Amino acid sequence: MSIVTTQALTQRFGSTVALDALDLQMQPGVTGLVGANGAGKTTLLNAMLGLRIPTSGSLTVLGYDPQRAGHRLRANVGFAPERNVLPDEMRAVDFVRHLAEVQGLPRGEARNRASDTLWLVGLGEERLRTLGTMSTGQRQRVKLAQAIASDPKLVLLDEPTDGLDPVQRSEMLTLIGQISRDFSINVVLSSHQLEEVERVCDHVVALDAGRLVACGPISVLVGAGDGITLELVDVAEPSGSVDAVEAALRAGGLNVRRHEATLALRGAAFEDLCDRSRDAVAAAGARIRRLETRRRTLEDLFEDAAR
Amino acid sequence: MTDTPAPNSNAAAAGEAAQIIDRGYRSYDGPRTGLPGSIRSVVRYSVRHTLGLGRAARHKILPWLAVVIALVPAVVFVGLAVVLDIDMIEDEILPDYHEYYDFITTALFFYCAIIVPDILVADRRNGMLQLYLSTPLQRWSYLASKALAVAAALAVLTMGPVLFLLIARTIEGSGPGGLIEWIKIFVRIIAAGAAISAAFTMASLAAASLTDRRLFATIGVVVLLWGSGFTTLALVEAADMGAQVYAFDLGGIADELKNRIYGVEGSDPFGAPESPDEDAFQPGAGRDQLSTLFVVAANFAWVALGSAVVWWRYRRLALSR
Repeated sequence: MSIVTTQALTQRFGSTVALDALDLQMQPGVTGLVGANGAGKTTLLNAMLGLRIPTSGSLTVLGYDPQRAGHRLRANVGFAPERNVLPDEMRAVDFVRHLAEVQGLPRGEARNRASDTLWLVGLGEERLRTLGTMSTGQRQRVKLAQAIASDPKLVLLDEPTDGLDPVQRSEMLTLIGQISRDFSINVVLSSHQLEEVERVCDHVVALDAGRLVACGPISVLVGAGDGITLELVDVAEPSGSVDAVEAALRAGGLNVRRHEATLALRGAAFEDLCDRSRDAVAAAGARIRRLETRRRTLEDLFEDAAR
Repeated sequence: MTDTPAPNSNAAAAGEAAQIIDRGYRSYDGPRTGLPGSIRSVVRYSVRHTLGLGRAARHKILPWLAVVIALVPAVVFVGLAVVLDIDMIEDEILPDYHEYYDFITTALFFYCAIIVPDILVADRRNGMLQLYLSTPLQRWSYLASKALAVAAALAVLTMGPVLFLLIARTIEGSGPGGLIEWIKIFVRIIAAGAAISAAFTMASLAAASLTDRRLFATIGVVVLLWGSGFTTLALVEAADMGAQVYAFDLGGIADELKNRIYGVEGSDPFGAPESPDEDAFQPGAGRDQLSTLFVVAANFAWVALGSAVVWWRYRRLALSR
């Protein structure tokens, strides 16, 4: 059963189309909501919470219509907003406990779970510190803790790795994976970092300027159509050998992306790609510095959509 | 769950072995409190927030100063009457219940202007509003929670000192004669406190809803509370307009409703002494010409207007794209 279903979901702000007739389904597990800034990710999350009334189309989340049964839906949903501003003078444990209570937990249970959740996200020793004294990484963890403290069925995380250094980012992604795997909480992770979505998500919904670019299991979308990376050495004679290789491959109908002397190739079976690359290199008189398998990435998805 | 016996042999011998309980994060299948629980939690948190409880010492100073301003005169009066046991103080100086509101007004204005705006403004500035609205709370229930919290805090100021006066006088022996009279006074204190709190709550929240800056909200409250009084006074004095103009004086019309609840009509809202010169203008003079229905309706209108402004503002408020 899908946790989120939209049909022709459209959201306009004046003349700006933030969501353009989206038809999608999100499956249980961790779903990555990817797209550049302004792609419509936060707008979609807000619509899923019932905080925005869509201009047209329909939307159901966990079987609820967010507009008609928003309060019942939100009792089952945790949310960590992108905005990195929290009440500075509150202690972390009080903040998480208060929001767990507002989410519907009895006082005693909220108190216990606030501590348990802060230990889970690695802030057990810091739980009595005020939010204003915490680092960006710690505050992101506090936001995650308040989102899951009430044991929701679905958690919406809006850019949870924003402002984190690589180590903190890696730890946060591990934590998100653990939440879904160990506690069976469905996660929708909004991010503009494609590699982190590839790392932690089971499914992906890719948006570009409000339009749906891709939707489905990440293993299918990313794994299909693997290619090769071909790094060449541009020799002096004949000059322009890399240009010649690129032209020959393009002429053969392959999908070629070039960065200096490195060509990323897709568009044919792996063996065929290798053979055609060898032939083009030999004909141009170029030299191969590196040849390796290259998985299709989410970046390729967006590039395909742009074409 | 891991239960580890404590090394304390005495406790173990007493059959009360201490335990280190590693509960860990786990699923929760127990009861949930729903929307009423959400509202209770926001009210409790907001009351504590406005009174500075659970916050740094600097946040406690102003709210408790207001409480002290409201309560100290009552303590002093009762102390003089009880400890010194001077009949003159009891008869001549100790204010009647409805007269004590003159002391409360200063604290009330101070609280509404300085403390109350923070209850809405802070949530919009620090992101709590978006978090609240991602819970079972809706905009109306969030605002209702905030209004209840402000009204509860104001009730501490409007009811607390007068109830203290009632209880102290009752204990001292100069309270209302008989249970029925006592209950009458008690009900009047609650009703008057609720009426004043309602009008002041919605006026302050309306001002606070219109800006994200605390200072501007404070200025808005000052303009509403003091400005409406002075403007009304000027209109009555200079333009010789009818007594109905007092409806625009928030503090005055709330004070008049309090007087009607206590069965006193047309008192001076500014506490000015009665002028020996009958021709001199007396602030508030003529309010006794207003019907009680008009006074009640005017107070309802202030509450309704404040509520409408707050709802209009929050209905249109965009959280983020």
